[in-house]
Amino acid sequence: MLSLKRVRHRYGGREALSVEEFHAAPGEHWLVLGPSGCGKTTLLHILAGLLRPTEGEVEVGGQSLAVLSGAALDRWRGRTLGIVPQKLHLLASLSLLQNLQLAQFLAGAPVDDRRAREVLAQVQLGERGGARPAELSHGEAQRAAVARAAVNRPQVLIADEPTSNLDDANCERALELLQTQARECGATLVVATHDRRARVRFAHVLELAR
Amino acid sequence: MTLAGISFAYLRSRPLAVALNLLLLALGVATITVLMLSTAQLEERMGRDARGIDLVAGAKGSPMQLVLSAVFHLDAPTGNIPLAEAKALAKQRVVKKAIPLALGDSYRGFRIVGSSHDYPAHYGARVAEGRLWSAPMEATLGAEVATRTRLAPGAKFAGAHGLGEGGEEHESEPYQVVGVLAPTGTVLDRLVLTSIESVWEVHEHGAPAGAAREITALLIQYASPLAAATLPRMVNATSSLQAASPAYESARLFRMIGVGVDLLRALGAILMLAAGLSVFIALWNALEERRYDLAVMRMLGATPGRLMRLMLLEGCALAFAGGIAGIALGHVLTEALGVALRQTQQTAVTGWAWNWNEAWLLAASLAVGAIAALVPALRAYRSDVAPVLAEG
Repeated sequence: MLSLKRVRHRYGGREALSVEEFHAAPGEHWLVLGPSGCGKTTLLHILAGLLRPTEGEVEVGGQSLAVLSGAALDRWRGRTLGIVPQKLHLLASLSLLQNLQLAQFLAGAPVDDRRAREVLAQVQLGERGGARPAELSHGEAQRAAVARAAVNRPQVLIADEPTSNLDDANCERALELLQTQARECGATLVVATHDRRARVRFAHVLELAR
Repeated sequence: MTLAGISFAYLRSRPLAVALNLLLLALGVATITVLMLSTAQLEERMGRDARGIDLVAGAKGSPMQLVLSAVFHLDAPTGNIPLAEAKALAKQRVVKKAIPLALGDSYRGFRIVGSSHDYPAHYGARVAEGRLWSAPMEATLGAEVATRTRLAPGAKFAGAHGLGEGGEEHESEPYQVVGVLAPTGTVLDRLVLTSIESVWEVHEHGAPAGAAREITALLIQYASPLAAATLPRMVNATSSLQAASPAYESARLFRMIGVGVDLLRALGAILMLAAGLSVFIALWNALEERRYDLAVMRMLGATPGRLMRLMLLEGCALAFAGGIAGIALGHVLTEALGVALRQTQQTAVTGWAWNWNEAWLLAASLAVGAIAALVPALRAYRSDVAPVLAEG
C-alpha cells in the first residue's frame, strides 16, 4: 500500500529525513515515532504528495507520486488520502458540516449530506453540524478534523501529532478514534508522534532518529 | 457546496470590510450613473426640442441666449424684432417653414408663448381636450401646465409680466383656457400657447394703432441643406436680426457643461479605483489570514487553479454586488434630482429610465474587482502548502 525506497529529504543543505525502506500493507496501522525534528512531518508530507523528496521513490496504493504533475497530484491526494494536520485547521468561516462538505467537494466527490452527517455521528458530533469551529472544545475540534479526514473513505489516513497536549485518557480516546475510523474505511493508518504513550496501541512502528 | 458558496461564506465572515468595499464601489458607480442618465436625458430632450429647427432669428445679442430662450425656453429673450423684417425673412425662397414667437409673460412660472398653429404642429402635438386657440386672449395649455396648475378649458387666468414668478399681473386682460394638449415629451408640455395678437393686446395698452408691431423670434426650417451656407450670413449681415443655429449652440453648450461633467465623471472613476484598491487590500489581508485555509484546501485536494478561481470569484462577486448597488443608487439619486428640478418648472430628469451604457459600467466594475483580485489570486496560486501546514 505504502512504499518508500531510499527516500532522503534535505532543506537547504541540512538532511531532514532519511528512510532506507518502508512498506505498509493495506489496512495496517503504523506509528511513526521519533523526537521533535526527526522528520516525522516531512515524512507525512512526502507520503501525502505535499512535498517532493530530494531523492528516492514513493508509492501509495500502487501509484508512483513522482509521475504525477502538480494539479493531478492535488486531485489524487483529495481522492486517496485523509489527513489530520497537527493544528487541525478547520475552516473558521464554515460550519462543521460545511467543513466536511468542503472536503467532499474539493476531492471531486459528490457532496453527500448523509455521509457527512454519518461521519459526524460516528465521532459523537452528530448534533453539532451547524456549529462553527470556534465554538468547539479542543477535543471536539480534533474529532471534527478526524471526521473531515474520513469523510471521503480514504485509502490512507494520516495524522500528525494527534495526541499532543492531551492527558492520558484523551490520548487513548484520540488514538482509538483514528483506529476505529481507519478500520471503518478500510484505510491504512499512519500516525506520526513523539508521544511514547501511543506505542502500545500499534503493532507496526517506524522509529526515526534525529 | 460550490466555489461560489465558499466565496460567499468568506465574504460573510468579514462583514465590515465587505460593507466598506461595497460602499466605495457603489458610490463611484452611482456618481457615474447619475451623470450618465442626466446628461443622456438632457441631450435627448434638447435634441427633441430642437428637431426640425435649423435656424432661429431674433434680436441681436448672444446667439446662445437666443437659442436658449426661443427653442428651449430656458433663458430670457435677447429682445424683440420688427414684424416686417421677420415677415420678409420668412418669405425667402430657402425658408420652408417659419414659426413666429412672441414672448414676454408667464403664468406661475410657465411661459406664455404667442405663436401660430404651426408651432404645436411642428412638434406633432395633439389636442387632448378642447381645441387650439383662435380668437385673441384664448389659450391652449401644454400637458404639464394643465396638470400642475389644474386649469381646465373654460377657466380664466391672468398672465404675469416677465418670465419668472412674481411679475406684475395683467389682471385687466385675463386669458381664457380653451384647450389642453396631449403630452409630447418636448418643451411644449411646459408652455401656455396663445396667438401673437393676444401678446400684443396685453402689452400695447394705449399704443398708437398702426405702430410698428414686434415679435420675439422666428423659428426657421430650411427648404434645402444649401440654405445653411447662405441664410445665416445673409440674416446677420443685411438685417437688424441675428441668426443662431440650435444644433451649433447646443453643441457649444454641452462642450461648456462637458468640463464639469468630465470632472464629476473623473471623480466617479477615482472612487471606483479607490474601491478597487480597497478590494485589493481586503483580499490581500484576507490572504494573510487565510494562508492556512488555502493550504488546507490544497491538502483536501484543491488544485492551485481552483484556489485562484476562488479568489477571483470573491473579488468579482464583491464588484458585481457593488456595481449593481451603485447603479440602483444612481437611479434613485437621479430620480431625487428629477423631483427637485420639477419644482423649478424646468426640464426634468427621471431615474426610471435605462441607458445601455450602464452595462459597460457594470462590466467596468467587474473588471475593477477582477484586477484587484488578480494579484492575491496569483499569490494563492503560487503558495507552497507544506511549509504552512508544518508551521507549529
